[in-house]
Amino acid sequence: MKPSVKISLFVVFFLALSGILIALYLFNMQHKDLQKVKPDFIISAVDLQKAFEENETSAASTYVNKVLEVTGTIESVKTGENNVLSIVLKTGSDLSTVICTFPPETDPAKFTSGKQITVRGECSGFLMDVLLNNCVTL
Amino acid sequence: MKRTIILIAFSFLFFASNAQKYMTRNGYIGFYSHTAGEDIKGDNNQVASILDTSTGEFVFQVLIKSFHFEKALMEEHFNENYMESEKFPKSTFKGKIMNLASIDFSKSGNYDVTVEGDLNIHNVTNKVTVKGNIEVISGGINANSKFNIVPEDYKINIPGVVRDNIAKNLEVTVTMKYLPVENK
Repeated sequence: MKPSVKISLFVVFFLALSGILIALYLFNMQHKDLQKVKPDFIISAVDLQKAFEENETSAASTYVNKVLEVTGTIESVKTGENNVLSIVLKTGSDLSTVICTFPPETDPAKFTSGKQITVRGECSGFLMDVLLNNCVTL
Repeated sequence: MKRTIILIAFSFLFFASNAQKYMTRNGYIGFYSHTAGEDIKGDNNQVASILDTSTGEFVFQVLIKSFHFEKALMEEHFNENYMESEKFPKSTFKGKIMNLASIDFSKSGNYDVTVEGDLNIHNVTNKVTVKGNIEVISGGINANSKFNIVPEDYKINIPGVVRDNIAKNLEVTVTMKYLPVENK
């Protein structure tokens, strides 16, 4: 076999292998660990809800898909389907809050109403409340 | 005259004490796709919904970005390629219970219901009729449903290469636990 053929075979093999490895890596990529990610914004629950209530479009373009570090007082602790835990944070409004949803394995015992907490989560947007997903506590 | 006023006052009291609007903000909607190649499951625990028991009207709202997947890449494809959640962030359903008369909301019980309405996904609205179940419990109402949707009905384009990995019919599960809306 000519050396040039050998080299090109090797290159093809190498490219194919790295392609497979990259595909496998992407396919199995885990969700961001928010404990380790630097937040894009640090804001209070009151200010965050106010931003969405005053101008949903501009607040959405600022905060949606970003990692937010939100501080607020716990209004209530709710367990939904599949034991998914949601912590409701108080805002300046009676009707609209900030809801932080945690991964299923989170223990609800460490949250009590009235306590102040800081949560890091990814902002999904606004329905009746500002919604944060994949939350972790700090 | 006096009697009329008293009667009116009492009827107001009666209506005020009988909650007719029920709400949840952490309801669950999930979908499931099963093919030989891959199982895909998306879960959303941030569903906002209102049920008006006097008219039988249901309203559901979800943010597409609140759907959670096991794998990060699935979530990315779902948002960016299929649902285009930047452009169409919300999905809604507005509908009505067709057999409202057969439900007694004043006492505990289990009822099969048929709900008809408009389902908006990916900025496309289709009329749908789904079967479900309503359970009246003390202090609340639970609603459950399972139905199928076809992505192509909502102009969701799935490229040929991965089409075989996503089911033609997606199974949608709805689980709501409503609480009465307090009149403040």
